[in-house]
Amino acid sequence: MTAGTDPRRDGPVIAERPAPGTPRPYEFPAVRSARLANGLTVLVADLPGRPLVSATVIMPIGSADEPADVAGATVMTARALGEGTERYDAIALTEASERLGASLHAEAGWDAMSVGVEVPASRLEAALELLAEMLLHPTFPASEVERLRDERLNDLLQAQADPRRRADETYIGTIYAASSPYHRPSAGTRETVGRLDRDVLAATHARILDPATATMVVAGDLGDLDVVAVAERLLGGWQASGISADGSRTVDASGAGTGRLVRVIHRPGSVQTEIRIGHPGLPRRIADFHAVGVMSAILGGLFNSRLNMQLREAKGYTYGAGAGFDLRRGAGPFTARAAVNTEVTVPAIVDTLAELDRMRAEPVSETELAAARDFLVGVFPLRFETPGAVAGALTGLAVHGLPLDELVRYRERIEAVDVAAVSAAARQHLHVEDASIVLVGDADAFGAELEAAGLGRIVIERDDAPALDGAVPEDEAAAAVAPADGSDDLGPTAGAEDPDLPGSSDDPAAADSDAKDGTLGG
Amino acid sequence: MPTIVPTVEFTDTRLANGLRVIVAEDHLAPVVGINVWYGVGSKHEVPGKTGFAHLFEHVMFQGSKHVAKAEHIALVQAAGGTMNGTTWLDRTNYFETLPAHQLELGLWLEADRMATLLDALSQENLDNQREVVKNEKRWSYDNRPYGSWQEKLQGHLYPPEHPYHHSTIGSMADLDAASLEDVSEFFRTYYAPNNAVLSIVGDVDTADVLAAAERYFGAIPANPDIPPLGDLSLPPTLGGEIRETVYDRVPLPRVYLGFRAPAYGDPRLDALDVAGQILAGGKGSRLHKRLVRDERIAQDSALFTLGFVGGASICAGWATARPGIPVERVEAAYIEELERLAVEPVSTDELARAFALIEADELGAIQRVEERADRLSMYATLFDDPGLINRMLTRYLAVTPEAIMEVAAATFRADNRLVLTYLPELPPADAASVDDAATVDDSADDDEVAA
Repeated sequence: MTAGTDPRRDGPVIAERPAPGTPRPYEFPAVRSARLANGLTVLVADLPGRPLVSATVIMPIGSADEPADVAGATVMTARALGEGTERYDAIALTEASERLGASLHAEAGWDAMSVGVEVPASRLEAALELLAEMLLHPTFPASEVERLRDERLNDLLQAQADPRRRADETYIGTIYAASSPYHRPSAGTRETVGRLDRDVLAATHARILDPATATMVVAGDLGDLDVVAVAERLLGGWQASGISADGSRTVDASGAGTGRLVRVIHRPGSVQTEIRIGHPGLPRRIADFHAVGVMSAILGGLFNSRLNMQLREAKGYTYGAGAGFDLRRGAGPFTARAAVNTEVTVPAIVDTLAELDRMRAEPVSETELAAARDFLVGVFPLRFETPGAVAGALTGLAVHGLPLDELVRYRERIEAVDVAAVSAAARQHLHVEDASIVLVGDADAFGAELEAAGLGRIVIERDDAPALDGAVPEDEAAAAVAPADGSDDLGPTAGAEDPDLPGSSDDPAAADSDAKDGTLGG
Repeated sequence: MPTIVPTVEFTDTRLANGLRVIVAEDHLAPVVGINVWYGVGSKHEVPGKTGFAHLFEHVMFQGSKHVAKAEHIALVQAAGGTMNGTTWLDRTNYFETLPAHQLELGLWLEADRMATLLDALSQENLDNQREVVKNEKRWSYDNRPYGSWQEKLQGHLYPPEHPYHHSTIGSMADLDAASLEDVSEFFRTYYAPNNAVLSIVGDVDTADVLAAAERYFGAIPANPDIPPLGDLSLPPTLGGEIRETVYDRVPLPRVYLGFRAPAYGDPRLDALDVAGQILAGGKGSRLHKRLVRDERIAQDSALFTLGFVGGASICAGWATARPGIPVERVEAAYIEELERLAVEPVSTDELARAFALIEADELGAIQRVEERADRLSMYATLFDDPGLINRMLTRYLAVTPEAIMEVAAATFRADNRLVLTYLPELPPADAASVDDAATVDDSADDDEVAA
């Protein structure tokens, strides 16, 4: 650890930056893989010294696979799994879980549904019994389903009033064609959620549950517990319903084809404008995944990304600006985003578009490349400090059908990304000319300036006068982002949590949690 | 009661200049958490200079004598690390998590800004970060539904002359008035080694760390003249119910409840935290079960404590009314659940479930070096007792049904209650009626910060 001899001092401090010590090698934890007779894959990572174990069963069928008329069924099915089972009512299940100190939860997103638990190692087996009960034997009581449906409808109301959620929802409704599931929120719209009842949820459950495509992941200090034997005992009798969906089919991710559209949701008196700029982006399984990761980090993932340095550190327009790809089984969105004070709305858009153009037009510098590569490689061990993070990475592999060595080889593949690869990724995957611009803010304050800027066809929507444009019905635009869309994206994100927007770690309002889903970059 | 949570072994030393250095080795992963707490928060701000502690925290990322603007973050990220800073009422903290072999980089960066920040301070950087902070306020408070609640909570629960009365984000007018000299003065007063705790947790050797700490920080001069805070003591209750109705751009009414609570460190606050777990800790909790699940009058519910060491903490929560449900009905049911806790002991099973969840939360929290380092710094800064990291859980697990009844009876009283009711906006003329005599602050606020 000692840094050489007699460093040069300057007053009370050492003037020179210290050289790093010798790194201790880090390898992603070893993973044992087994397959039960019914086809269930079991992945086990024993992590001595990590007593809070994380276990998940993940099924690679998600919101993108559901019929459009019952959009939101998958997310609501996940929410309803704990609302009553053959052996327990909702409260009894919750209380049984609490007695173990276990947090039992189920989520669904675009690509998958999962049931998981975090529990102290000594009570893992008992917690897995509850998990299996919740996964295999839910009863979807009609009265609880009705409550969940009402809560989702109320949540849609709340989303309308929240500028961030309104911008996110309007954005996906703008860039994707109505035929694409990505056009709507994964938790459904007012119209489709109204159709969800216990029969729809039971059918969705039957469609998703198939041990042959499912994976169980267990990570933590497992001692001498034989996880595969426990899995066999609890899940060995699980058989497919016979109507299982095909999770490998292609997702329709067609763009709206509108070209550059500037869509403004007028919010009178808004002190900031929420800006979203972008277009349909990329699926997870692409050959240049690692180059895209480095490119996104430089553009909008790192704190010192081009967008954040320009919009925040040079101009002071925003608390944070970023950009990134949400990589799903189909092509999820590419989004550049910022919330800026109203007066600088148009200059902020112009600056963002200029940075997107520059990313395509000019090669990145060696310094920028090194900063992004070094971050993504160096932060790798930090990302897997907890069993939950290790399990999360492994479920990500399972969802996308990627091999275990994807994680093992991640760092060498990032190291291999060069300037040419970054430029190629930018040129191929950033489509600035077709990028739509969605704004939620006070159109009366910046409307004239926006028109003068000539950025594209402008549509201004006022709540009391729905869009004349008709491209996106108001209802569709109103939907919320799924609260739990976390199963995709095993790719180490540039932000590795949120370095793109440091801040507010003690915010009590965090209890009021917004949707957080994995994105590559910002 | 024995616990499954492992003990954190650490050493606790002080350099000659007063810098407290706490080191805990953990060789599971090749990472290190570096954490500095400064004993300065928004409570040290004086009238006319609110928001300074937080603005200053932003300035700490703008460079120092040997580190250029934005370079601090660039160096940490290029080393494969993450970092941030936050500001709160009682303190300001800065932290990095790095690959363990980059420990000295982190120490060097923290030492350089602790000693030489003013060498790099410029009007341009100050102006830039002032604009960033204004956008932080707009983003975190002004442009968010129900966004003013936290500022109102502090404004009502603490009297105008008390330093907890104003939020950490402060007044934008005060920030506009902040000069380079003000900021410099703030730094010279509070950013001294004898007002800081440095905690280092991870794959390191304690002797090496202590030698490095001496090398990087040992020559930074102490400030012998840090002004003491005035008396922060307060009556334990408000002395009367305060009510305010706020018209906001929200679709559903929401009621916020706030109470003065025992100061952080007082065992009665431990009991209130356990009560909070029973009232609002998840799907099995009393408030969720009654308001959301059984009666179905609320869309959501919450309750939590915010622990402060001076005078009184805050216990607060909210429930959002479902469409068509009078918010008064939600308020009445919410309050009934709080008051029931004061008259009926919680059951053995309910308490056992709360303990199991608290224990698992603790296990989860301290598994990361960043959190362990932060807690060591916190307990050292606020209580001069980093060993609390190993005793807080035991304290929670020792809470009795009687202690919960006592603190509930003392806290959840009508004469200690703030009720903030958010209603969908009316025409501007009717907006923002204040139906009590309390002073309403003119600024929003909050904690934190960020680089």
